[in-house]
Amino acid sequence: MIFDSYNAYRAANFKPKVCILGSGPAGTTVARKLGAAGIPVVVLEAGSREFSDESQDFYRGAKVGDFYFDLDITRLRYMGGSSNHWAGWCRVLDKLDFEPKVWAPDTGWPIRRTDIEPFLPEVRDILDLPEFRPDVPISDDIRWVQLIKSPAVRFAEKFADELDKSRNIAVVLNTYATELAGDGKTVTGARLWSNGQDAGTFSADYFITCTGGLENSRLLLWSNQRSNGGVVPNAAALGRYWMEHPTFEGGNAILANYDEFEVDAVNEAFFSPTLAAMQRLQIMNFGIRLIETPYAGVKRLIADLACTAPDAAEWAAYQLSQNLRCAAQLYVAWEQAPLASNQIELSKTDVDHAGVPRIELHWKKSELERRTLVEGLKLFGTTLIEKDLGRVRLMDWIANGEDYPTNEETAGHHHMGGTRMGTDLTRSVVDADCKVHGMDNLYVGGSSVFCTSGQANPTTTITALACRLGEHLSKVVAV
Amino acid sequence: MSFFIKKMPRRMIVQALVALPALSLFRKLPEADAGPSQVDQNEIVVVNGWILKRSDLA
Repeated sequence: MIFDSYNAYRAANFKPKVCILGSGPAGTTVARKLGAAGIPVVVLEAGSREFSDESQDFYRGAKVGDFYFDLDITRLRYMGGSSNHWAGWCRVLDKLDFEPKVWAPDTGWPIRRTDIEPFLPEVRDILDLPEFRPDVPISDDIRWVQLIKSPAVRFAEKFADELDKSRNIAVVLNTYATELAGDGKTVTGARLWSNGQDAGTFSADYFITCTGGLENSRLLLWSNQRSNGGVVPNAAALGRYWMEHPTFEGGNAILANYDEFEVDAVNEAFFSPTLAAMQRLQIMNFGIRLIETPYAGVKRLIADLACTAPDAAEWAAYQLSQNLRCAAQLYVAWEQAPLASNQIELSKTDVDHAGVPRIELHWKKSELERRTLVEGLKLFGTTLIEKDLGRVRLMDWIANGEDYPTNEETAGHHHMGGTRMGTDLTRSVVDADCKVHGMDNLYVGGSSVFCTSGQANPTTTITALACRLGEHLSKVVAV
Repeated sequence: MSFFIKKMPRRMIVQALVALPALSLFRKLPEADAGPSQVDQNEIVVVNGWILKRSDLA
């Protein structure tokens, strides 16, 4: 069932056991799992069926630190959430992403990759993915990795009909849970805002916040403030360890033969470091995206090389005469070191139309990440040399040690952390089952529970974790 | 000092001054200017932003 207003929903007299906040990939996936298990669930979606400027305005916020996107642009507030604008790139976090890195504090998850692997066939069905394929080592330091460019499932489009026909799932649009109330052990209810006005309180046996990698922290910070710590009793890490995937053009490559690597339908290939290379250099994970360069760009690159290394340029010119596709742009996206200082705070001066403080996002890239970028490109360049496959040129700003440019891709619009998973109450917010520490009936879904970001786009892992959470809750709630 | 110079024949002093520049030939020179055969041609270097092996610079 889908209701366009909270009043219409109330008239239906539906009795849910579980209340999910948010209808994006995490919320919809958990709802479908619970619905399939025969558990009545309501999904409260703050937005409507379509994009609107009025709804997006609730997402405005401030940024402090490094350049970042406007917070009302980097996410979407309507049915299906940010799946409405994602690019569809899919890859599960690596096995090594779940393990602690001794050179990077606060890394490591309380679960292993094997804990989500049983759900990957289900994830493939949800996201319309082909088979996942293993990495292919290119050298001791670099591996080719599969990054699937999927059709980019829009969750509202794909599942609207199923949700509408479901007898166990009620999706209520235009219904914004502005805060949760709690007594330090259970969430006792949610305060709602619907169609521009206060809509009273709502109660259910269980609550799951799936409002996104920025909004989950905002909702819980505000709820905790209003209930004097009654919603997140152990709040030291709440809002903290927020992460993105910084993304910049890192350089160019001249290749002996572009066909040396497996490329996708648009002639792109992706590479990451081996665990041994990360350990040796003490860097984070990264992904290098190889994009074929147009012919004119190749000639310019070879002319530049001729000024530094004439013989190498002659070799490159010969390769060009043999093969028109012999150069590439290199884009690098990398894993951020989890830092408590990268955090979501509540604005002290600015509130949305419902009176909820807006987000103030504090975000800064670290020196470890800069080293990851530089060493990562050097690893890739060295691999090309060792395998006699080509040469790499760093972008000037990297070679000269200059600041990050502000006119580039910047990051992946991947909002991770803030309610991270863990066992240490001072460094995490939820446990391995995504249950908020100290609370009996409050769970968190989505990338805000990520402990580390890896280098892979998060939606595949979000969906796998949501399947796992749905399965876990279907057993808990059924008892 | 002037006592020794007064005792030495002028011819010997001139011979010593003429020989001075040649003394540097007997010093042990540093090996910084070693020949190309002793440099690792496969060493990875970054020059003008290019990640190269040293032999690329030949």
